[in-house]
Amino acid sequence: MRAALSRLRVVREPNLAMTARALEESAEGPRPLVPMAGGTDLFVYLNAGALPEQDYLDLWHLDELRGVIDTPGGVRIHALETFANLRRDPLVKRRYPALAEASSWVGARQIQNRATIAGNIANGSPAGDSLPVLLALDARIRLVRFSAPRDVGFDTFYTGYRTSVRHPSELIHSILLPWPLPGTRQYFRKVGTRLAQAISKVVIATTITVQKGRVTRARIALGSVAATVVRVPSAEDALLGEKLTPAAASEAARRLRESIHPIDDIRSTAAHRLRVAGRLVELAVADALR
Amino acid sequence: MGEEILVSLKVNGQERALAVKPNTTLQDLVRWHLDLTGTKKGCEMGECGACTVLMDGRPVNSCMVLAVAASGSEVTTIEGLSVNGDLHPLQKAFVKHGALQCGFCTPGMILSAKALIDSKADPTEEDIRQVLGGNLCRCAAYPRIVKAILSWKEFEGVPLDTRPHTPEERDQERDHAVVGHGVTRYDGPDKVSGRARYTSDIRLPGMIFGKILCSPHAHALIRSIDTTGAKKLPGVLAVITGADVPETRYGVSPARYDEHVLAKERVRYVGDEVAAVAAVDVETAERALRLIQVEYEVLPAVFDAEEALKPGAPLIHPEDPRYAGNVNTRVEWNFGDVDKGFAEADLVREERFVGSRTYQAPIEPHASLARWEHHGPKLTLWSATQTPHYLQQMVARTLDIPVGSIRVIKPAVGGGFGVKAETTPLDLCAVILARMTGRPVMMKYSRREMFYHFRGRHKQIMDLKIGLKRDGSITAVQSRIVLDGGAYTSYGVITAYYAGSMIPTLYKIPHYKYDGLRMYTNLPACGAFRGHGVPQPRFAFESLLDMMAEDLGLDPFDVRIRNAMTPGTRTCNALDISSCEFGATLERAREASGWAQKKGRLPRGKGIGVGCGGFVSGAGYPIYRSDFPHSNAMLRVHESGQAVTLHIAAADIGQGSDTVLPQIAAEELGIPYDRVWMAACDSTLSPVDLGSYSSRVTLMGGNAVKMAATDVKNKLLRVAGRRLGCDPAALTCRDGRIFVKEHPSVGIDWAEVAAAAFSEGGPVVGTGSYRPPTTLGGDFKGGTVGTSPAYSFSTFVCEVSVDLETGFVTVDRCVDFSDAGTVVNPVTFHGQVEGGVIMGIGETLLEDVVHRADGTIANPNLHDYLIPSIRETPEIISVAVESFEPRGPFGAKEIGEGCLVPILGAIANAVYDACGVRVKELPITPEKILKGLQLQAAGRVAARVEG
Repeated sequence: MRAALSRLRVVREPNLAMTARALEESAEGPRPLVPMAGGTDLFVYLNAGALPEQDYLDLWHLDELRGVIDTPGGVRIHALETFANLRRDPLVKRRYPALAEASSWVGARQIQNRATIAGNIANGSPAGDSLPVLLALDARIRLVRFSAPRDVGFDTFYTGYRTSVRHPSELIHSILLPWPLPGTRQYFRKVGTRLAQAISKVVIATTITVQKGRVTRARIALGSVAATVVRVPSAEDALLGEKLTPAAASEAARRLRESIHPIDDIRSTAAHRLRVAGRLVELAVADALR
Repeated sequence: MGEEILVSLKVNGQERALAVKPNTTLQDLVRWHLDLTGTKKGCEMGECGACTVLMDGRPVNSCMVLAVAASGSEVTTIEGLSVNGDLHPLQKAFVKHGALQCGFCTPGMILSAKALIDSKADPTEEDIRQVLGGNLCRCAAYPRIVKAILSWKEFEGVPLDTRPHTPEERDQERDHAVVGHGVTRYDGPDKVSGRARYTSDIRLPGMIFGKILCSPHAHALIRSIDTTGAKKLPGVLAVITGADVPETRYGVSPARYDEHVLAKERVRYVGDEVAAVAAVDVETAERALRLIQVEYEVLPAVFDAEEALKPGAPLIHPEDPRYAGNVNTRVEWNFGDVDKGFAEADLVREERFVGSRTYQAPIEPHASLARWEHHGPKLTLWSATQTPHYLQQMVARTLDIPVGSIRVIKPAVGGGFGVKAETTPLDLCAVILARMTGRPVMMKYSRREMFYHFRGRHKQIMDLKIGLKRDGSITAVQSRIVLDGGAYTSYGVITAYYAGSMIPTLYKIPHYKYDGLRMYTNLPACGAFRGHGVPQPRFAFESLLDMMAEDLGLDPFDVRIRNAMTPGTRTCNALDISSCEFGATLERAREASGWAQKKGRLPRGKGIGVGCGGFVSGAGYPIYRSDFPHSNAMLRVHESGQAVTLHIAAADIGQGSDTVLPQIAAEELGIPYDRVWMAACDSTLSPVDLGSYSSRVTLMGGNAVKMAATDVKNKLLRVAGRRLGCDPAALTCRDGRIFVKEHPSVGIDWAEVAAAAFSEGGPVVGTGSYRPPTTLGGDFKGGTVGTSPAYSFSTFVCEVSVDLETGFVTVDRCVDFSDAGTVVNPVTFHGQVEGGVIMGIGETLLEDVVHRADGTIANPNLHDYLIPSIRETPEIISVAVESFEPRGPFGAKEIGEGCLVPILGAIANAVYDACGVRVKELPITPEKILKGLQLQAAGRVAARVEG
């Protein structure tokens, strides 16, 4: 019935450079290494027998991949930052309250102490709690390989269900969150089946920038409604140039319901997700009015 | 599998260097390399939190951390919390507040709490709820866990046993010295410290491990099995298939033994057992399973009880003509004349309600350990069981072993709720494999395997019809229930009867008709689950009663009070109601809940609802024909006179019988509770007790214990009478003294008398036994099911919030008034009620095992099958009403199961009050509510909607 941990093999290299080299070398071979950080997603799939036999590359000990750093372009969050840290980090709490909030909704405390932001990104579940926030915040992902780093906008990171532009030879190094514009309100809400430790039915993150009473920039990002986390440009456009009125909000909600196509699964139904997603947009707008 | 790696870390303050495999988890490191078995294995997916340890002071799930990743860190397990034998104040607080039942989640819970108080010494209730969201407790001791953590500082520097018990929890006026007091749980200190050993914590020399291969098909014939590859794998010691097991079928009800230890030729559900392997370790056993090649001929399958009934449906047990048409059990009961009753009614309404397949989901997985002794041959079987006696009988019968050669030991059990009340393939395969290999064999289910083994709640499709007079009097009830039983019988015959028999116990029903049909389907078998068969029909009944009260413009309480059961009644289906304070529970719950101010008057989105329930205090008849008394006890007074040992086979699975039974012994003997030792649940030490099912232990075990204590007491009073020069009949015992009733100052030390009695005549032993009255029940087929010496009654009122945006329901606060007779221990009593309420909330709002079109389970884990967490815990006020049951020990009856029964209907009624959506299909999900709300908003239906 069950494939066990007996399939697990782990490789550990002493530092980032050697880790990156091991990854790059294995990518060419028959058994590419799979990077592993806190392991909180991986163990779920391993125990469910849902993973093929493969070898893992342990990253947990690589302190080079830790730290939340203030830079001129924004805040750089390194790959192995755990959600427990992000939930409490003063800089994150002040500048990206939606990310701090989302971090507090990831799993439970035991999970938050192990789960990392890069793990959430690399795992690529459309239900990943932090991912809509990263989308709404215009995050950029730094990928590294032994030979060269590159930066990718998070809005172009995923190519499909649990697939991304990350090459097997690349590691997620860090995430850059640009400074929020003045007048920006961030919103996050997770709707799950249970209050503690539940995978979402719908998760939303928005950033709405208002200058001189009109919306100048809007990001509406959703999780658990498509194969990847998604932004909904048509709904964002509905708000642009508008005052934050219930009419604008319901127009955004209407367009959102037209542009997303969620599915039925064990956690909810497509119809329910559509209804709730629309209402969440309206609630996000109402929140921005405060 | 790669070379071993050296890991150095500090565990509980000690430096350790260990060679482990790269894939060894931190959990296995502490459990197997260091034998720190307080760290429990509950789900292996980071969901239950039972394996929580502190890593550098922070809680982590040790099942998800590789041992190599813990290298260099400081790890604290539960064993590291007590210092020089003194429990940590937090551990003492847990014991004193009754913040644990089965204890399996307790170490993880306490460690999460420890991390909290280390960062914030005075946490708020909200902090606690936030931090403990990742520690699931299926007994749902959550309210007491919160209290314990809030008060932890009070226990600093205080020895455990000197703190006063909690008199504020006493609801009833009784003059007892021990009964009615919230004494410390007998098993509490061991469970908070990680000392309690559950079956999978036992380590024996030479122990090997077994695993079972399960069918991937819902219905198929086995064409061939090739075990050659598995047998060749190094480390494999035995492989067995259907060809190696007896022809004898086993099960629960003698009329329907329908399971082979391993499938002989046909598999009937995904998960049906096909082969088993014993190997030097679990990894090797699992690898061997993958090498077994089974050729199947796949057959059409049926997954729906009503479909299974249709002509032409695939036959699941074609070999037995009794099961033609896939009907496993048919009940046809007709009491009185329902047509006449409905004709007399002013309102008749019939509605269909549908329940869900819910799973007991104890945090401890099933486990068995078998060892054949070299002398004899004799077998010792350790098992996570609720029913050691039935297990012993069934192993003997199925494997043709003399019952006298089998010793069954029940170690600590981490919750059961019915799922551990039957013999499992683990038990039987472990015995066979141990005999073949000559080694002790440990077998245990993974969380996923538990879901496939199942034996959870039957999904019931219920067509219920009630007739009411204008004043609310019930004139007739008709119920037709189709139960989805899955592929085997398990407890299902009894379930089908219970679903009908318990309806007339709560309200007076003059005419009653019940047609029950339990169907075989190609799904995992359903069994007995807390409130056996009753919660769903009661949900239907309480819902329909409210709907009809509204039709008639009556208050739901008035309708219930008008029909409420009264003491000394024989119901229409010939059940004898002894004590009954149901009316009092209704009146007091109505008052305490503020019903008059709230019903129909709360703002939209807020609602209040009532539901009622009750259950048997032990089944009137055993599962198999047997003349043994149902409960038996022996009390041995130690030669010192300073202590007694209670020998009883009652199975404490967390409900607290190892505490309540010695309380009853101590009360009757007149000695303090802490002088009683327990020798429970080892068949070589304790005489037969039928086990922990049908809420039977307090009444039946209690009566046996009380009788044994009376026996001892009479012997001692004779000795004391001689010493004091008075008639033994003039004497009594209390608080460790024997004295003259009329002159309490004239007396003698109990221990002194007991030692003298031993010196005079050798061991002082008392015995007691209990069997229910043999006159119970009517003379009709199935008339025994539902009989009991006594019944519990309760009224439950809850307030809910419905989020009108998302349909999300929160139960905010509730009151429960229960008539359970005399409360023997208020701490365990209210713990049971609170746990039942929370489990009921889960069953109503969250839980449903979902099957895919191929019969596989879509949510066979605690990740997708969600049970209530501490965050779902409402404010619960639990009150025991004044009541005395003449057939119970000191007036006691049951609480453990009846407390769950009223919850489902009450929440459904409260949701309707909050938003006008009536959901008749469990669970009441946000999806169903929002759909109802949308229909409402569209004006397509009236303000009140049925979903």
